[in-house]
Amino acid sequence: MRRRALILLTAGAMALGGCVQTRQFADVQFQPPQGDYDLLLMRPDVSVGEVTAGGLVQPRADWTETARAHLLQALRAQQTARGGRTLVAETRESIPGVNPQTVADLERLHSAVGNSIALHKYMGADLATKRGRSLDWTLGQEAVRLGQATGMDYALFLYAQDSVASSERVALQVLGIAGCFIGFCAPQGGGGQMAYASLVDLKTGDVVWFNVLQTGSQLPGVAFGDIRTPQGAAQMVDRLIGRMKAGKEVRRAQAR
Amino acid sequence: MNEMNLTRRSILGGFGCACCMGMVGAAQARVTPAEVDPMIGPGHRPTDKDEQGMWQLYERAERDIADSNLLIKDPGLTRYLGGLAEKVGGPTAKDMRVYLAHIPEFNAFMAPTGFMVVFTGLLTRMRDEAQLAGVIGHEAGHFLRRHHIRGWRDTKRKSDILTVLSMGAGLGGAATGAYLGDWVRLAGMGTIFSLAAYSRHMEAEADALGLKQIARAGYDPNAMPETWEQLIGEMRATARMRRKLPRREGSLLATHPAPQSRMTDLRISAQEVRGLGTGADRGKDRYIRALGAHRKTLLEDQVKLNDPGGSLYILNSLAADGWNGLLRFYEGEVWRLRGEKGDNQRAAEAYAAAIAYPDAPPDAWRSHGYALIKMGRGDEGRRALQRYLAMAPNAPDAPMVRQTVGL
Amino acid sequence: MRKLLASFVALSLLAGCSSGVGSGLGGIGTYYRLIKPQPRTVARGTMIVQPTIAWNQIPRGPYDISREENWTLNGPYLDGLSFIGGLGNNERIVYQRRKADRKVPNFYSNMTPQDIADMIESFYMIRAGSVRFDVTALQPRAFLGQSGFQFDYNHLGGDEVERQGRAVGAIINGRLYLALFDATKLHYYGAGIGEFERIVQSARLRR
Repeated sequence: MRRRALILLTAGAMALGGCVQTRQFADVQFQPPQGDYDLLLMRPDVSVGEVTAGGLVQPRADWTETARAHLLQALRAQQTARGGRTLVAETRESIPGVNPQTVADLERLHSAVGNSIALHKYMGADLATKRGRSLDWTLGQEAVRLGQATGMDYALFLYAQDSVASSERVALQVLGIAGCFIGFCAPQGGGGQMAYASLVDLKTGDVVWFNVLQTGSQLPGVAFGDIRTPQGAAQMVDRLIGRMKAGKEVRRAQAR
Repeated sequence: MNEMNLTRRSILGGFGCACCMGMVGAAQARVTPAEVDPMIGPGHRPTDKDEQGMWQLYERAERDIADSNLLIKDPGLTRYLGGLAEKVGGPTAKDMRVYLAHIPEFNAFMAPTGFMVVFTGLLTRMRDEAQLAGVIGHEAGHFLRRHHIRGWRDTKRKSDILTVLSMGAGLGGAATGAYLGDWVRLAGMGTIFSLAAYSRHMEAEADALGLKQIARAGYDPNAMPETWEQLIGEMRATARMRRKLPRREGSLLATHPAPQSRMTDLRISAQEVRGLGTGADRGKDRYIRALGAHRKTLLEDQVKLNDPGGSLYILNSLAADGWNGLLRFYEGEVWRLRGEKGDNQRAAEAYAAAIAYPDAPPDAWRSHGYALIKMGRGDEGRRALQRYLAMAPNAPDAPMVRQTVGL
Repeated sequence: MRKLLASFVALSLLAGCSSGVGSGLGGIGTYYRLIKPQPRTVARGTMIVQPTIAWNQIPRGPYDISREENWTLNGPYLDGLSFIGGLGNNERIVYQRRKADRKVPNFYSNMTPQDIADMIESFYMIRAGSVRFDVTALQPRAFLGQSGFQFDYNHLGGDEVERQGRAVGAIINGRLYLALFDATKLHYYGAGIGEFERIVQSARLRR
């Protein structure tokens, strides 16, 4: 019931000139985590700002803290509903039994891997050897060792950014390129959300699932799930990782 | 290994905004040292919402920077830099943190939360402690005069399209754009950081206040205009060696506009602050001692960029107090890397001079040996290479040298 | 780094936003052609090599010289194999302006392996965004059946990712022939070095 309502909302928003884009890739053998599993949420990077009349995105500490808290809450709830337990690694030092340097190196490697997935899966620069295989990248043995040291089954890397149009901005609808530089392209319209998530199977070190979410509001006053509210945060989490689809082969097997 | 490189030109191209960065136009009126005083005191914390938001980003940035593997984490050197910040940082000196980034660019920046990042390229070029203190004092000036938040609010008020210019993004050519851009994003500062392209007025304020700070601390205030003189000299030397005019685009000029007028203003202002302290301290020996073994790394980084004009300028100015084995060795390396007609000869002469000094590094013997062999003096060359092997038997290239010697 | 990734992806999802990533690495419709595991000529037909697994050919970028060819297994951010074939005296290894402030040294026929190693190091420092570069080994090694060298190194880029590289080369009749493998220190160098070694050992000069 709730799911349907969300879809309606989305459809309605699109009719009004909003848009939600999301596209996920998964390893062909991928099964969304279910049952009893442990998930390590790597340092989530959250930021919420206000889009000013001039097109600048002004960071708001209060909004960010609120959104961060709600997102983490929503993540925990979502994973719990699936039967999982979440450990949030707030800082590089907060993973018990693991050297912060190792965490740092893995994060850096992941960013290179994430960039590669973005380049070769989302930007159309296809690698011939990876066509047909939906997701074929790994973080290697270091990630496996992380899993062994922590007893975690999965690691989730998450980035989320939201910007809310100020009233002047809504009024002016000025084109701004400023957003592009801080990682969120807001070529027109009000605010919007951008987020990505990637799931690493710590038994193999492989990136088994990857998703990007972007929403943008073309028309003034059309607000998407405001992640400063618990509902909005839950909505983003749901959009981003709540609809994990199984990999191609698994779906095919299920269809039979 | 490259990534998208939104250059300044591509951003500004559509807006014809060269004037926005203060690169052309009327000269900035000098701000006198008497006019400026710190605007914040110790333990400053933001109370306004917009400043709080900015602080939060910089706090996150500082965590990332402090963790970064781009830093040089030598405790002795970091303590030395922190000590300098304390000396010239004014009322908030105790709150300041200094990080040293292993990036071969002439740059330093200060964040509104009170931390500073100094790039190793800066240390390569400073001749003594007074000059370095001048740069730190200048950066502290931005902090003490609250330039970040003032600039941010100013920009908001004007509702300008933001001139996106990361400090250093235009510095030194395409190469630096690649990693300095990353560094900025890494710090999570994005557009906020672009405010480091301070207005001319703010730069003048920071100059004036910085001068006051270092004079009070007993340093020779002339150290500050000297820095500009050296910068200008280096840029000219770079261009002269390439037989071209100094370019604005992609050079130091891009982020440090109008160095000439700033130098002139600083010279005048330096006279006005003379009475504030003894005005004599240069701290050359302290500086060289603090750098220690890092000096070799810094010179190596600079030389490997193969900007022979700039590198030779730096080497020559460092040699003003006398040549030594290290400086002659790197002089040789500069010629060898340039590799144009006659350069092998020039390099060989420099290496020959280098090994006469007691502080000549083992590499000098190696380079000397290779150069002799290239000139047809094989026996002498192989003897020099053997000397290298004796000094550094486990060097990474020892197997190659052994083969060359015929072992 | 997260912001970089996000801006990347942001630009890609928006219609018509092609980022023009660096040296022709990406953008809508860029295709990395398949290199089958069988003998083939590389670097303008100057050498024959035999890969034993499939590779992807990196599309030519604006800074590539005519005598080079680049392959990858997992994408250029993670690993890359570069061939240079028959580079002549006073020729450059990367496209650059003759009067560039910082210039990667040209190749000269009388270069020693040390000179070539320094030329490669300069390339990384000037053009590839490295801030630190460490030489781990420089030793003699046969390549294309001739006396040559092997150069091993580590470097750190502005993206904070540590990378490792090996270059094997020789100067033959005054011309430079080189095969270079560069990949992230974590996982991808180790994963690819075996295949690189097989390719290097299989390499033959094509007259």
